[in-house]
Amino acid sequence: MTPKKKAAREPAAEAKPARKRTGKQSMTLAKSAKASVEDRVAAIAELPREVCGSDANLEAVLALLSDASQPLDVRLAALQALQAASFSVVAFEPCRGAYTATLRKVATDPDPELRQRVLGILMREKDGFAQKKLLDGLRDPKKALLPPEKALQLLSYDVHSDAYPVAREIVADPPNPTARREALRLLAADADSAPLFAKVLRDKDELAENRQIAAAALQSLRPEALQEHAREIVFDASEYPEIQATSLTALTQFGDAEAVLGDDALMKRVDTMSGGASIKVKQSAKRFLNKYGA
Amino acid sequence: MNVELQINNSTAPGARYVSWAPSPCRIRVTNPAGATGTTATIRLTSVSAASAGAVSFRRGTTGAFATSLSLTVPVNGASVPFFVAGRFGRPSINDGDVTIEARFGTALVGSVRVMVRIRKNANALTPGERDRFVAAFARLNNQGAGRFVDFRDMHTQVSSPQAHGAPGFLPWHRAYLLDLERELQAIDRSVALPYWRFDQASPNIFTRDFMGVSDALGTVQFSSGNPLQFWRTDGVAGINRRPFFPTNTAPPGLLTEAQTLALGSLFRQFETMEGNPHGSAHTSFGGSISSVPTAAKDPLFFLLHANVDRLWAKWQRQLGRFDPTVAASYDNSSTRVGHRLADTMWPWNGVTGGTRPPTAPGGTLAAGTNASAPGPSPRVADCLDFQGSILPLSRMGFDYDDVPFA
Repeated sequence: MTPKKKAAREPAAEAKPARKRTGKQSMTLAKSAKASVEDRVAAIAELPREVCGSDANLEAVLALLSDASQPLDVRLAALQALQAASFSVVAFEPCRGAYTATLRKVATDPDPELRQRVLGILMREKDGFAQKKLLDGLRDPKKALLPPEKALQLLSYDVHSDAYPVAREIVADPPNPTARREALRLLAADADSAPLFAKVLRDKDELAENRQIAAAALQSLRPEALQEHAREIVFDASEYPEIQATSLTALTQFGDAEAVLGDDALMKRVDTMSGGASIKVKQSAKRFLNKYGA
Repeated sequence: MNVELQINNSTAPGARYVSWAPSPCRIRVTNPAGATGTTATIRLTSVSAASAGAVSFRRGTTGAFATSLSLTVPVNGASVPFFVAGRFGRPSINDGDVTIEARFGTALVGSVRVMVRIRKNANALTPGERDRFVAAFARLNNQGAGRFVDFRDMHTQVSSPQAHGAPGFLPWHRAYLLDLERELQAIDRSVALPYWRFDQASPNIFTRDFMGVSDALGTVQFSSGNPLQFWRTDGVAGINRRPFFPTNTAPPGLLTEAQTLALGSLFRQFETMEGNPHGSAHTSFGGSISSVPTAAKDPLFFLLHANVDRLWAKWQRQLGRFDPTVAASYDNSSTRVGHRLADTMWPWNGVTGGTRPPTAPGGTLAAGTNASAPGPSPRVADCLDFQGSILPLSRMGFDYDDVPFA
């Protein structure tokens, strides 16, 4: 049977445009020092499509971003508009050079929020300038543009072995617990760190989230080792429920089905856990049993 | 007597998934015992719990759907076609929660369990739907070693011109999402890609059991039972995402659904949504989702884009913009390869070099278990008629909970 074509429905009337201001009006309001910050931010939110419309527009939005005398909210809105515009990659390409140069300039701005956002954008673009600045800051805190935990997190966008030595130092002697956590996360791609992760996973004095990072890292670096550790943790009655639940999740998601199904002791143990007191463990045990058909 | 019911013209369990768009089906008598003539009248009905899915029937490619259908079926084994569609507003919650029963008189002579598999608002998923989706996604990622690597590699700075800044933005991402969804369904057939309605508060998405909760640093935290805690991309563990808005509210400054749908009645007007709300939704966060080269590292990316696609689908349905031969349905003025109706799309076409990226990860686009369109190497034009409104064979096998078939 030949399918019958339906005629496309013609609109009764042109739909009303959603925006009340023209691009030019939005740009004028965005730049107006007399307007309220709220109105300027709203106008800037309308700009992503105008940013690359002309050199003047681009220069104006970049100027808002880099001008330290502008209200912070206006500068952040300008940054967000530029980022949104950058999603139209081809249209944005002619703007990219000036954009990157401005971001590098703002990377050393006195405002920490702006620095953080700008360095994040640069690192996601694998910018060598930003990477060097962040590594320099980790090695010498006097040069740091960001707190160490944030620098480590951003360095994870472009992991180079250059970062591993300083990350290991931070794991051994952390300036704060969050920096240690982010250093562990960064090292999760480092095969040489597998023994460190095994140690962290089995150390009951470690923070639960560090042990969970260690489980994930080990599952990736040495999956067979994680499966063994996970099994032992499941049988360890003195273990924390959170870590037992993580171990059960690892076995459920990534376990060797043949080995698990042939392990009667494990199946019995998980069956017992499915009726236990901890909700987290109980839920994870039930998912395990659903998967392995018990 | 016994009959065989073929859903999506197949007896395979994987084909027993329907959406709002009608699925072609067949019925045939496999055991004529008890029949008195050369034909038998078989009545089809949809049986399910009130909270579960429901389907409707019609005899041919046109006409109204009904909650039951009587068919005259030859007893010699020849098959009779009919169509099944999910009843709008009654999507399934669980796999096979609808039974299609075939009765000869009062006798049950055949039945098959089906699922009305629909893309839903992620904020309204049941815990079961959420957990199945998350488990399948984590499995696809497989700690950075799974098939998700290809999806990560498809959406990068180098490949971006294939997918952004021109009319092909919407068709390319439709194919991309469908490719991913079909891979998820290869892991768990009951999974459909949910969407993040970024113009509404969606507190149930930003929880430790679902897409995670960001700490002050922007590191996303998961519950110990959430397999996304093992998420890994580019060799790095975890997800970085820092919302610039309280996650129990909607991000500010984004066009609402109504405003987006009112951008204009021509595609060239509607496609401006690539900036706002699409780009603005991305940049309402810091972290990987806020930059093109890293956005697809975050699983939330796919929920965000499912909403972008839903908005397009809703705009198409509102204005009947499914036919690529109708000028208002698409903007075919682009000079860029990959953005014109007749162009095949990278990477599914396997073309590399020149105006295309140097590599084409992932191979061709797999057929779904319930639909084969848009084909292994889709053209832009193949991605408009997703419900098969113009040509039934164009049906891609997915639907949104708030976008009806007709």
